[in-house]
Amino acid sequence: MTKKNLTLIILGVVLLAFPLIVRSDYYQHLVILAFIWVVIGSSWNLLAGYTGQVSFGHAMFFGVGAYTAGILVTKLGISAWWGMAFGGILAMLIGLFVGWVCFRLRGPYFALATLAGGEIFRLIATNWESLTEGMVGILIIQTFRSKLPYYYLALLLAFACVYVIHLIMKSKWGYYFVSIREDQDAAESLGINTTLYKNVSLMVSAFFTGMAGAFYMNYMAFIDPEVVFSLHYISIMAILVGIVGGVGTIMGPAVGAFVMVGVQETFRSAFFGLAPKWISQGHAMAFGLLVIFAIMFLANGIVGDWSKIKRHVFRIKTSST
Amino acid sequence: MRISKILMVIFLSVTLCFTFGVSSSMAAGTVKVGIVLPLTGPQAKFGEIEKLSFDLALEEINAAGGINGKKLILVMEDDTGRPDVGRSVVEKLITKDKVVMLGGGYSSSVTYAVSGVCQQNAMPFLVNTGSADKITGSGWDWIYRLNPPVSHYADAVTSLLIEKVKPKTVAILYENSLFGTKGAGKFEKICKKLGIKVLLKQGYEHGGIDYKPVLTQIKRLNPDIVYMVSYIMDASLLMKQARELKLTPKMFIGGAAGFTLPEFVDNAGKAADKVISATLWHQVLPFPGAMDYYNKFVAKYNRPTEYHGAEAYSACYVIADVLKRAKSFKNTDIKKALSETDMMTVFGPVKFTTWGKLKNQNIAATYVVQWLDGNLELVWPTKHATKKFNYPVNWLKIWGY
Amino acid sequence: MDVFLQTLVAGILIGGIYCLIGIGMSLIMGVMGIINLAHGQLMMVAMYITFVLSAYMHVDPYFSLIVAMPALFLLGCFLQKYLLNPLMKVESILPENQVLMTVGIGMVLAEIARFIFSSDYKCVKTPYGGSAFFIGNISLNVPMCIAFIFAVVITVALFWFLAKTDTGRSIRATAQDKEAATLMGVNSTRITIITFGMGSALVASAGSLLIPIYYLFPDIGGPFTLKAFVICILGGLGSTVGAIFGGLTLGIAESLGATYIGMGYKDMVGFLIFVLVLVFLPGGLVGIKRLIKS
Repeated sequence: MTKKNLTLIILGVVLLAFPLIVRSDYYQHLVILAFIWVVIGSSWNLLAGYTGQVSFGHAMFFGVGAYTAGILVTKLGISAWWGMAFGGILAMLIGLFVGWVCFRLRGPYFALATLAGGEIFRLIATNWESLTEGMVGILIIQTFRSKLPYYYLALLLAFACVYVIHLIMKSKWGYYFVSIREDQDAAESLGINTTLYKNVSLMVSAFFTGMAGAFYMNYMAFIDPEVVFSLHYISIMAILVGIVGGVGTIMGPAVGAFVMVGVQETFRSAFFGLAPKWISQGHAMAFGLLVIFAIMFLANGIVGDWSKIKRHVFRIKTSST
Repeated sequence: MRISKILMVIFLSVTLCFTFGVSSSMAAGTVKVGIVLPLTGPQAKFGEIEKLSFDLALEEINAAGGINGKKLILVMEDDTGRPDVGRSVVEKLITKDKVVMLGGGYSSSVTYAVSGVCQQNAMPFLVNTGSADKITGSGWDWIYRLNPPVSHYADAVTSLLIEKVKPKTVAILYENSLFGTKGAGKFEKICKKLGIKVLLKQGYEHGGIDYKPVLTQIKRLNPDIVYMVSYIMDASLLMKQARELKLTPKMFIGGAAGFTLPEFVDNAGKAADKVISATLWHQVLPFPGAMDYYNKFVAKYNRPTEYHGAEAYSACYVIADVLKRAKSFKNTDIKKALSETDMMTVFGPVKFTTWGKLKNQNIAATYVVQWLDGNLELVWPTKHATKKFNYPVNWLKIWGY
Repeated sequence: MDVFLQTLVAGILIGGIYCLIGIGMSLIMGVMGIINLAHGQLMMVAMYITFVLSAYMHVDPYFSLIVAMPALFLLGCFLQKYLLNPLMKVESILPENQVLMTVGIGMVLAEIARFIFSSDYKCVKTPYGGSAFFIGNISLNVPMCIAFIFAVVITVALFWFLAKTDTGRSIRATAQDKEAATLMGVNSTRITIITFGMGSALVASAGSLLIPIYYLFPDIGGPFTLKAFVICILGGLGSTVGAIFGGLTLGIAESLGATYIGMGYKDMVGFLIFVLVLVFLPGGLVGIKRLIKS
């Protein structure tokens, strides 16, 4: 127990000290991106990994959060930071609506409906030009030039998200969520209001994803519908982050986020310029192969199957020596 | 406990991986310029033409002594056509590669996002293709643009319309991207000013299979001209289906982009003939080196080039010229040199001034080209024209009905 | 009136191709209970096969159906056997593992295509590609009509296969009740492999038929995957008859939407119908039939 606390403290210190030691904006930027993915991945995981409702449309919540922040600037002229609050809440309300539509059905319907939902929002954002500026996108000027404030805000957001989910999962709610995932009928017969708790899970998930979206707007300072409502780069990525890291574990998505951002940037920059340039063409391929590999051999992700990984690595070591 | 250990290991390996990458050192006697282009992704085709043109110009510049004896190095980064990636790579170029200035910028949205970063970091950025007005119209003083903004793409077309076609009604179709939306919006305004009635203005999501419903609508409205802002494959499909429907306005006009590429005539076949389009450059223009550049490009890469390539090639020469004149490679000195630019390139004369609401904008002319028997010929303005503007056109006869 | 008729005809013609795409997805959904999110990418592979045959060997796109369909059948079988079926044995928390696997497969297929053919747009030129004939004022594109006829023929052949052959009956039995079918001696593993192969072959035929009308590039799959699953939901999950209705409905709805609401909203019409169906008619269009019966 104390050892666990110790490692957590070390981890915390490392994360807090990172931008003070590694001064390069570029690496700080990558870690900030990873933090954003920690939030999205963890939120997705709460809904999919713990409650068993696989969403293919988290871009919907992310985009709503981002656009809330952006529209606050362009239409009302107030700071995009307000979006951090309103974006989360608005995403939550949309989550409530999506839940109302989808949770009356079971099976793959939820996955399909969220997928369609994400696309509908993308098309609305593209076509409703008077509100969203359409494909022109929204550009704001960043509040801070230094990365440090963003770094610590992202860290705080990621920490808050992971910690809140941790608390939820330790509470009664968490128990209800998992029982819904394991067997909805059994949960129902135990007197758990499954529709209610599925909605609760969805709303918490949407709230954090919306906050992440609003933070993204503040940090990246530019959004357009293709960026924040992207099926491929947001919704599917959220799933991949969860799967690679470990579905149904607290730290899984966090690990997945760092791995995914790392893999993506490593390939895009062709191993930081060390490998031949054509490698960078393969970043999407590497992604796909990683997913196939993870599902085949690490069904529960890096964190979920850690003991398996350790065993394998260990065996290879002993056999080679 | 287990979990946090894993996190540690992964985190450390990721950081290691990152720090390992920091190996780029500043070699003496070189000067680095960052170039942002889409080298993968859906716009990679255009990014490729620009990259090759940059390479071609770079070779020539370094062979001729580089920047006052220093070797010019272009650090090319792939923005994959996405604004968020574009932003990241520019930050990398600025902070990690320590480039002295930036060039490139293909798609409007990526260029716009990148410009925001440059303005904030006081990094001179010479845009050569991104055409949304906002890029130089936001009052930013670190952003310079070589190409005309999209709102002026139709300038030559407009004068052609006034003098030759004299239409009364128009139908406008456009791809609902940043480029398409702005181009169509501006053309609508021009039409209103000229007293041409806009019967229909409709955007579409690119990649459609069947445009016949909307084309039938246009046929019923029977406008004098049909103006389309489309990328390449949509452009071919639109013309092919217009032919199938026997939609015969007085003239089909393309707003640059898809309508000037060789693939357009390849795919649309005879449906492409006599279609006119706005363009920014043609190799027959009387600018020193224009034809040379075209020939060199074809000889070296064995494929034709077009206005995107010319923009990139010229941008490279402008960058070299600016760096030669700059007192030092400090951002303020480079900015000063950029502002004082006054030179001739294959793309025409380059000088950055204020143009209406646009700041640091090169005032470049536009031209009209027409597809005549499979060749793209310059037809307007007449003083540069290689072939006479074919008008009026009997579409049904050309289409083989 | 002309505008309306032209819109309707365009919708029906494209609907024929949508049917082929949808039926393939529906078969897979019915038997395996999974959404195949690599469906459009499989079509993309078939399109590249057709393209290569046509560009380098001058095989007519319609003849290349004979190559593309079996090739995709084998590819589908391979994917099911070596990538999807093993997952049934893997213990994991999410039941959707197979769906997520198809996402990975789709990404890899698209990237392989990009590696070989680059991101460039490709197009196959045929002598009949731009030919059209008129009925009244309605223009009909020849390849579009041929595609529609092929779609009808292939669909009829499929229904004959499902109704009359042993394998076809086993597939239907498995779709209806997997456990019962297994008890009755149906080799369900073999059936899943054949079904995925057939689903792929069907979408391959759609790809080959689209070639003379459309163009291709590595990312073409995504939008068609989305269309495929919208069709499936419209028709009722896993129902092959429903997929035909779904395909035609989507084709017509998109076309009408493009004319009367705006081209930019074309895709949204499909999704909106989809959500409405989901809310008010969860059984899809086939559900109406049941409603009327009861």
